[in-house]
Order: sequence, then structure tokens, then C-alpha cells
Amino acid sequence: MFLAVPVLGVGTFAVAPFFNIWLPADVSEHGRSVDSLFMFILWLTGAVFVITELLLFWFMWKYDSTKSKTPAKYVHGNHALEVVWTILPAATLLFLAIYQMNTWADIKMRRPVMAPTVEVVGRQFEWRLRYPGRDGSLGTPDDLFLVNDLHVPVDEDILIQLKTMDVLHSFFLPNLRIKQDAVPGMKIPVWFKALETGEFDIVCAELCGWGHYKMKGRITIESRADFDAWLEKKYALQEQTAPPPEETETAGL
Amino acid sequence: MIEATKQRLTQSQEKQVATVLLAMFGTPDNPVVLAETGLDLEKLRLCAGPVRSDIVGRKNGLYREHCAHCHGITGDAMGPTAAFLNPYPRDYRPGVFKFKSTERVEKPTHVDLVRILHNGIAGTSMPSFALLSETKIDALAEYVKYLSIRGETELSLMRAFFELDDDAKGILPETREFLIGEMLLPASEKWLAAKESQIPVPLISEGVDLVESIAKGKALFYGDKANCVKCHGVTGLGDGQANDYDDWNKPIVEIDKELRGTRERIKVTATASMSPEELAEHVALQDWVTKLSQVLDGDSLKPRTVVPRNLRHGVYRGGRRPLDLYYRIYAGINGAPMPAAKGAVSPEDIWHIVNYVRSLPYEFDGELGADRPLIARERF
Repeated sequence: MFLAVPVLGVGTFAVAPFFNIWLPADVSEHGRSVDSLFMFILWLTGAVFVITELLLFWFMWKYDSTKSKTPAKYVHGNHALEVVWTILPAATLLFLAIYQMNTWADIKMRRPVMAPTVEVVGRQFEWRLRYPGRDGSLGTPDDLFLVNDLHVPVDEDILIQLKTMDVLHSFFLPNLRIKQDAVPGMKIPVWFKALETGEFDIVCAELCGWGHYKMKGRITIESRADFDAWLEKKYALQEQTAPPPEETETAGL
Repeated sequence: MIEATKQRLTQSQEKQVATVLLAMFGTPDNPVVLAETGLDLEKLRLCAGPVRSDIVGRKNGLYREHCAHCHGITGDAMGPTAAFLNPYPRDYRPGVFKFKSTERVEKPTHVDLVRILHNGIAGTSMPSFALLSETKIDALAEYVKYLSIRGETELSLMRAFFELDDDAKGILPETREFLIGEMLLPASEKWLAAKESQIPVPLISEGVDLVESIAKGKALFYGDKANCVKCHGVTGLGDGQANDYDDWNKPIVEIDKELRGTRERIKVTATASMSPEELAEHVALQDWVTKLSQVLDGDSLKPRTVVPRNLRHGVYRGGRRPLDLYYRIYAGINGAPMPAAKGAVSPEDIWHIVNYVRSLPYEFDGELGADRPLIARERF
């Protein structure tokens, strides 16, 4: 009967994708290698899991006291067996560690040499954004200030400068396979390239207080032309010196 | 102070107020609107009640989902998270709002409220609800007005008890002209008239040299007419003074003083020679002191002085558009000690001050404003 538990466990994994309970859609460039690593490890550990469980239940069934009458023998271990089942998993893990290094380096070490596209500052409980503006540099009077509404152009390298104003947060883009803790006092570069347009979530992945659950933002990936037009529109709104005419009062607020 | 007035009422007086409010405004689950308020009941229904989805999957209970935990279920800013915030969330009940496009003592327009909901308030815990749909933001702004009108009506009703003459026998008149005409309309009419009191803004002339304008603004900033440095400090860091309270905290400070004085007097009052009426009054006073002390020591948020804005940060609560800064300087900030420059400073001069203020975070050409890698341990 206990066998039903691991069987159900494996069963849910097999069936889940058909119920849409699987990894979120991936629209990033490096996401492919991240997901294939995930699947590789899943299959590998899954196979080991299945074999181990089958062995476990076979032994439990074969040596069940109602069937097998020979009393248990107490041994001091089998040296050869222990060496094998230590070396084999260690080698597998070492293999995994080396196998994933390239992907890790792509995401965390090989930074594209470019000026930041946007500065993202985590704050309880929102993501404050600062675009460099026409002069291309942050910290000048033509910067564009926004909250939670991140836009980036598609098919281009994006570099984000990640900071936090108060406590630890974690900048998590599920659909781009990006997650980076924002640490107070540190300015951390985050980069990716988005391959498809669309609107996706920004989520906070480090418990930061009572509002952590609702620290949600939105990333909009759009064509370069749309992105530039959007920046212009938002900048014009930020620099308003006259009240807008009535009909367009709230448009593009 | 709202709580102080509340504690002065007897049980039956409280019940009268509650009955009237129930009839005029309904409950948090089932709001009611009188036609005189001009509020849209459909929008209120979207915000009222528990968080749930209706038959077409539309989210309801918006106020409870997004606002009540700070602003409180009645808009009294005593929600469970309010005590952790600095600055405190807005109490809608006095009907005073800080960041708007109308003259100082007038109500904000509907669009003003929508703007605050959309952008949030930078530098405070008021979040930006830009990710909500326009319909939802619109409905929430309507609900804020509803709670504010209700709060002001409640205060009027409570105060009315102290203005009743003896033959009313402590019972409020139940006539339409009293309840709606004298209690409700003074609040709700101001909301309907808000649009008419929008601040006139002169267009900026095309050929204005920014450098010149900033220099003029600086002179005005330090000058006598505007005298910004008195509070904002000679360095613009907001260290001019920090002794004043805003209109939501001031009553608490004053009532606290009054309470302490009253407690002292009660202690030394000799009750032996009092007439029955005097004794009854004395007991009622003691009762009030006890109840109010419990409120002030318990639920009530501890008063804080209001700190003038540090203009070097470039964080502007009411909005960072030049237009928003114009509104702030022209009309001051309702409920806060920031005075109105209207009248003392001409509109063109106000624009000069706006330009100067906007240059303050960047005044030292990269030293203070630019993204310099000094404090952060950076990996660039």
C-alpha cells in the first residue's frame, strides 16, 4: 500500500503538464539552458528515485516476516558496497556541478558591456524604476521615474542595475528565468535578452515584510519602436507644466 | 478631535448617530447612497464587501483587498498595519486631503484621487496601483469619497449634540432638512464643487532661459516673500524646523494636554460639597477622562511632528511633474504647515521657484545627484 505513495508521486509529475501546472512560459534566451538543466536533473534524480523505491519495496515484500522465516543477520556493513554507493553519487554530483557551470556563467558572470537600460530599486513594497533618459546616463535631470511598470525592448541585451532602498528583496522574473537578491548597500547587475513580446510578472522572492506577497510588478516586452514611443510618452507626462485637457485627463497616467 | 468627541457621547447618543449613519450610508458590506451626494452606487458596490469574484469573474471587495489594512474599514487610518508606517496613512474622516490640484481648503477632484491611486505617494507607504485596471481605480476613488463624506457627516452629527437646545431633550431632529441639509450636504457639496476650484496655472512663456529662471527661483527661495528656507532649511535639507504638527496629529497633542490638565483638576476637586447636578457632571467628566485615556494609550496612533521635505532627495510626495510642484507652492498643503504662496508670490515667480526646486537634487553637478559609486559596494 505504501508503494502507492511514490507511484502517485511520479504519476503527478507525468500528468501535471497536461493540467497546466508546470514551469511558467519561458521567453528568454538563457532560459532554454536553464530549463534543460532542470529537466536533466529531474530525469536523473527521477530515475534514481524510481530504482531506489522499487528496491526498497522489493526488499520489504521479499523479506516480509509472514513469508520469509530466516531470522535477520546482523553484519558490520559491506565495505565494497559502501564505497560504490558513495563514489557513484559523488561523481554524479560533481558531473552536475561542472555541467551547469556554463549556464551559471552566462547568467551571473558574463555581463554584457553596456550602460544600464534601467535602474530597479526594491522598496517595501514596490519596485521603483529609473530610466536614464535621452542623455543615456542615470542621475541626471532627464531621468524618467516610474513604479512597478517595467518596459524593455525585445531581442536586445538588457542590463538592469538592481538596488534596494531598505531591506532585502529579490527581483524575480519567472518568465525570464531571472532571480537576483537585492542587497542593501549593493548595486547588482542583472542581464537577459527577451525573445518574445508580452506582459509578464515581476515578483519579490525574498520575504521583506508584511507586504511581501503583494510586491508585484509587471514587465512589458515590446518592439524597440513601441518602447521608444512609450518612453517619450511617459517622459512628456512627467514634465507636464499645464493641466491636461479634460477628455484626456487620466489617459496614460 | 474625533475620538475625544466620540468619548463624550452617551450610549444613547452614540446609538442615534449609528442609526442615522446606517440609514444614510449603509454598511461596509452594503453601501447606500443618497442622490444628494452624487456618488455612483455601482462603483461603491465594486469596492464594498468581502473580497470575492462575481458571476462573471470580476473581482469585488476592492477596498478591503487593497486599502482597508492601512486606511481602516471606515477610512479612519487605524487599520492593522497603520501603526507600522511612517508617515501614517490618511484618515479620510476630517475630509482633508494634501495632494490635489484645487485651492487649499477645497476637496480634491476625482482625477486628483485617481492620480494618487495610480502613482502612489513616493516616499511613503502608499503604493502605486498602476497595475489595476482603470475601472478599479475609478471605483476605489469613489469609495474614498464615500468614506470621507460619511466621516464628515459622523463628526457633524456628534458635534450637533452639544448644540441642541434643552427642549430637544438630547435627541437629534429627524427632519430631512436637518439630517441632509445641515449634516450631510456641507461635506458632500464641497466634493461636487471641487472641479470649480482648480488652481489656475499660467502657461510658461516659450523663451524662458532655464538658468536665469533657476537663479531667480533661488533668490525667491531665500527671500522674504516666499521664505522657503524657514522650514526647508538654508541647505534645502528640510532642517529649518521640526516643531509643528499636521492637522491630524495636532488635535491629539492638544487633547492630550487638555486631558492631563483635566486629570489634575479632578484629583484636587472636593466632591463633598457638590450638588447632585454638579456631581453628575463631575462623574461624567471622570468617565470621559478614563475612556479617552484608554483610547489614547491603546489604539490611537502616537502623534508625530511633521518634518519639512528634504528637497535634495528629489522625492516629491504629491507628484514630480513641474505642474504638481506649482500646485504645492501656490496653494500650500492642506492639513500641513506648508503655507500658500498665492498672493505673496506672482505666478511667474512661482514657476521660477519650481525650476529652482527641481534643480536642487542636481545642484552640485554630479556630486550629490549623479549616481556616484560611493556608498554602495558596487560590482561594476
